[in-house]
Amino acid sequence: MNHHRRRFVAGFLAVPVTLYTVYVLSPCAQALVIALTDWRGVNAVPRFVGVDNFRRLLGDEVFLRAAGHNLLLLALVPPLTIGLALLFAWLLTGDGTARRTVRGAGLYRVVFFFPQVLAVVLVAVLFRQILRPDGNGMLNAPLTALGFAPVGPLADTDLALWAVLFVLVWQAVGFYVVLFSAGIASIPRELFEAAAIDGAGGGRLFLRITLPLLRDTVQAGWVYLGVAALDVFAVVWVMTAEHGGPDHSTTVMAAEVYRNAFHYSRFGYACAMGVVLFVITTGFAVLVLRLTRRERIEFR
Amino acid sequence: MTLTVRHERVIVNSPFPFSRRPGVSRRELLRGAALAGLGPLTLSACAFPVGAPPPPEGGGVPRIAEDGPLEIWIFDGGLGDDYARTIHEPLVAARFPRLRISHNATKEIARTLQPRFVGGDPPEVVDNSGAGAMDLGALVQDGQLTDLTPLYAAPSWDDPAVTVRETVDPTAIELGGYGGRPYVMNYTTTVWGIWYSRPLFEARGWRPPRTWARFLDLCEEVRRSGMAPFTYAGTHPQYIYEPILTLAAKIGGRRVLTDIDNLAEGAWQAEPVRLAATAFAELGARHLLLEGTAGLDHVQTQIAQNRGLVAMLPCGSWLENEQRGSAPDGFGYAMFPLPDFGPSDAMPYGTLHAQPGEEYIVPARSANPGAGLEYLRAMLSRKASGRFTETVSTLTVVRGAAEGLRLTPGLESARAALAAAGGNVVSSMFRRWYSELHDEVAAASGQLMGGAIDADRWAERAQRKADALRADPSVRKFTRR
Amino acid sequence: MAALSHAVLLWWAVLVTVPIVWTFLASVKSEREIFGDAWSLPASVRLDNWARAWQQAHVGRYMLNSVVVVACGTAGTMLLGAMAAYVLARYRFRGSRVVHALFVAGLALPVYLVLTPLFFVVRNTGALPLVGPFIGLNTHGGLVLVYVAFSLPFTVFFLTAFFRTLPETVAEAAFVDGASHTRVFFQIMLPMARPGVVSVTIFNVLGQWNQYQLPLVLLPSDRDRWVLTQGIADISTTAGYDADWGALFAALGMAILPMIVVHALLQGQIRRGLTAGAFK
Repeated sequence: MNHHRRRFVAGFLAVPVTLYTVYVLSPCAQALVIALTDWRGVNAVPRFVGVDNFRRLLGDEVFLRAAGHNLLLLALVPPLTIGLALLFAWLLTGDGTARRTVRGAGLYRVVFFFPQVLAVVLVAVLFRQILRPDGNGMLNAPLTALGFAPVGPLADTDLALWAVLFVLVWQAVGFYVVLFSAGIASIPRELFEAAAIDGAGGGRLFLRITLPLLRDTVQAGWVYLGVAALDVFAVVWVMTAEHGGPDHSTTVMAAEVYRNAFHYSRFGYACAMGVVLFVITTGFAVLVLRLTRRERIEFR
Repeated sequence: MTLTVRHERVIVNSPFPFSRRPGVSRRELLRGAALAGLGPLTLSACAFPVGAPPPPEGGGVPRIAEDGPLEIWIFDGGLGDDYARTIHEPLVAARFPRLRISHNATKEIARTLQPRFVGGDPPEVVDNSGAGAMDLGALVQDGQLTDLTPLYAAPSWDDPAVTVRETVDPTAIELGGYGGRPYVMNYTTTVWGIWYSRPLFEARGWRPPRTWARFLDLCEEVRRSGMAPFTYAGTHPQYIYEPILTLAAKIGGRRVLTDIDNLAEGAWQAEPVRLAATAFAELGARHLLLEGTAGLDHVQTQIAQNRGLVAMLPCGSWLENEQRGSAPDGFGYAMFPLPDFGPSDAMPYGTLHAQPGEEYIVPARSANPGAGLEYLRAMLSRKASGRFTETVSTLTVVRGAAEGLRLTPGLESARAALAAAGGNVVSSMFRRWYSELHDEVAAASGQLMGGAIDADRWAERAQRKADALRADPSVRKFTRR
Repeated sequence: MAALSHAVLLWWAVLVTVPIVWTFLASVKSEREIFGDAWSLPASVRLDNWARAWQQAHVGRYMLNSVVVVACGTAGTMLLGAMAAYVLARYRFRGSRVVHALFVAGLALPVYLVLTPLFFVVRNTGALPLVGPFIGLNTHGGLVLVYVAFSLPFTVFFLTAFFRTLPETVAEAAFVDGASHTRVFFQIMLPMARPGVVSVTIFNVLGQWNQYQLPLVLLPSDRDRWVLTQGIADISTTAGYDADWGALFAALGMAILPMIVVHALLQGQIRRGLTAGAFK
């Protein structure tokens, strides 16, 4: 191993690895230890309680519901977002043969992207007002004017989570529209033309050419959206009543971690929740990464 | 040993990773020096307390450092924060001119200050109130709060012959206690009741009901007039569990509430609690609530009342002051106590939930806790508390301080109700002691009012949470008589 | 077909714009109008809402803080992330797989797992000599370092993959000419990786701009240093107590407007970045 080369590698890795170790890996390791205690604050002496926190999690209805909500979001946010985004991207770029784009495609893309540039918190505050349950909210004013009863999705334990899902998808779609239409635009035109000569129509072109060629992009998006669905916090914390309510109907694991750590001072228990969240997220990521493994090219 | 892994290890073990290696080149030395900047960073990466620091010095009374800091954090809610700036801080500054007083206000006490406590750098005085207040039980348990015994034993601000203790409502001191020691100074006295617009009621010929049956009749009558009879802050369902519990105490006596506070077995499933919960759930079931109540917060419901959309709502005596800017002129706030439930009620008509509140604490680990105690002593002076009541329309725990003051209609109504209640005043502590129980009861209460669960299920949920807390050794327990 | 496309696209465009338009509408309404019919036009345009929001809500300051933190955070992330990714992608050395795996594992790491210890770590770094005052709690420096550290997994993961796809001939030629490793990286490989770097940068800017949880914990008390997300969440609580809804919507509008303008100006850049992007 050549000397220069070794120094170069070490020099390039030193700062990133140090930062990563200090701010990510070491807190992570500490969390694993804290999870085994009943630590309740900086001055209380942490007592080692083994796996008590984890045993208790299994019986914690609220946490189990939170985990269920995360899994539901994991199952729904990526396909809905990607499905809508693919549809819009496809409509925007046309069928590829004539490279005929819809009029105003650029404007659509800009508009679709808007929610992404608003911070999530802002979106949450906005929707809290929009979904107000009395007759005056943005949603209800036209409904009541038409003679319908006002609806209060955020006040209804059966609907609130769907409102959260809607807001998450509402915000995410635009980014993927831009991403996918960029992807479609980069597909060599000849491929479409060749297929069109073979007699494939718009829908079949999409299924046979566009989708397979976008596969990797879609996969990357899926990972990102999946991790985001497991990490949901701001929308739930800011938008819903009772920070994850009503009656825990929208709570997610991240909200329970935050609540237990910073509201109830149950740092040990909160860390145990974090560990479970971590295991689930890692499981998901490993699963997807196995599918996206690729060849490596190396010097010498 | 691989390059990277060794590299990491060296940094973790030594603040000067490369310089100790023999035969290093000059460039390596330089780079090592640059990396040394990262070394200490790594050393500080451990958060977990290896050994807990010792609790603050016991016994000694914190002395004021007269040229020290006095950082004050006021909860900027219904009372605003100007009162501290204009009344209390000048009083302290006049007596201790060299103190470095800094005034701060926030809507979110816990979010803003909890990290400071955890970080060992809390301010000298905190007004721990509002929806985002800190869990005082946990802070006491952590040894984070100054024992206020010396404050109450000290001579009062106005008259050295009288101790502070003698000037203050004894229940306020008792309720500020944890395990028999006062850690929290309650400053205000809040009276709960059902609030309405007196001019509106007089114009319509409606009268505050004295029995539950009359109350239901009144609700029906209001509804016939095209107005919604009743509402509460749906997204903060503690606004509705408050009257439920007060009614329960009225039916079954004080013991109902002390049992709940003491996490007694079956406290939530006692008959009076169940009866009261059923009674309030009926309001929802009979569609006597303002439409959309479950999704509206306190401001939205209070504005709805100001706009004449709903007749009555349960609230504390801060309401009038909170709605100062929103209520139309001549709204004429007034309140009535919970009606008699039945002839066998344990407590008479007029029984009130009145509670010392606006919890002031002096963090033990602040730089100058002695100054914090002096600040509290100044707050409890007659002059300060009288001006406080005038300025923010709120009664204080200082006895007789509101005498001879001209009060606004809502406050006068609350004062009169409190005077009429005499000794028939109840209070509740579990919200302050066990915030997890509070959250669960609030969540369940919202469901109860919406008809998703019945009173039995509601009580069962609360009881289960109470039982879990009782069985949890990591939760510090509090008791009251 | 074209009509149907337009209908679908228009539907979503309306769904996206209406809440935003409504916010601007409400921001020039009086209290009574806001609580009245949601879709009525204001009787007179109340710009005083905007003035109040600007004076009392400090939206400008929050936004400036966000811009500073995100700019520094993203720049640091991209520099360090690209360096690490390049080395991991192109150099074989013992431990490289472990380091890579550690970074990639961070991709699945929920911030919430490490929240509590992280708080103490940052607090402790604040006590360091010299640098402490710049990187402890309630400092932008501390937040930036944490942003960088938490953005590394994603950045390293995607850039590693991207560097692996780049052709090796150019770099090999440079090595033959005697170029140093550092020079090859900065002058050859990094420019070649530009498309990937741009798209990862976009992801990082958006991610850090959206971050709410970390500033909530790490910038707890110094209001003057709050970032936009904290400010907005606080304003919405504030509106709850002060019942100043006009100012709330004006503050929201104020936060939205520059973002939309910036996006409209940079959208071409964003699209090009994603076209060439790392996501192939």
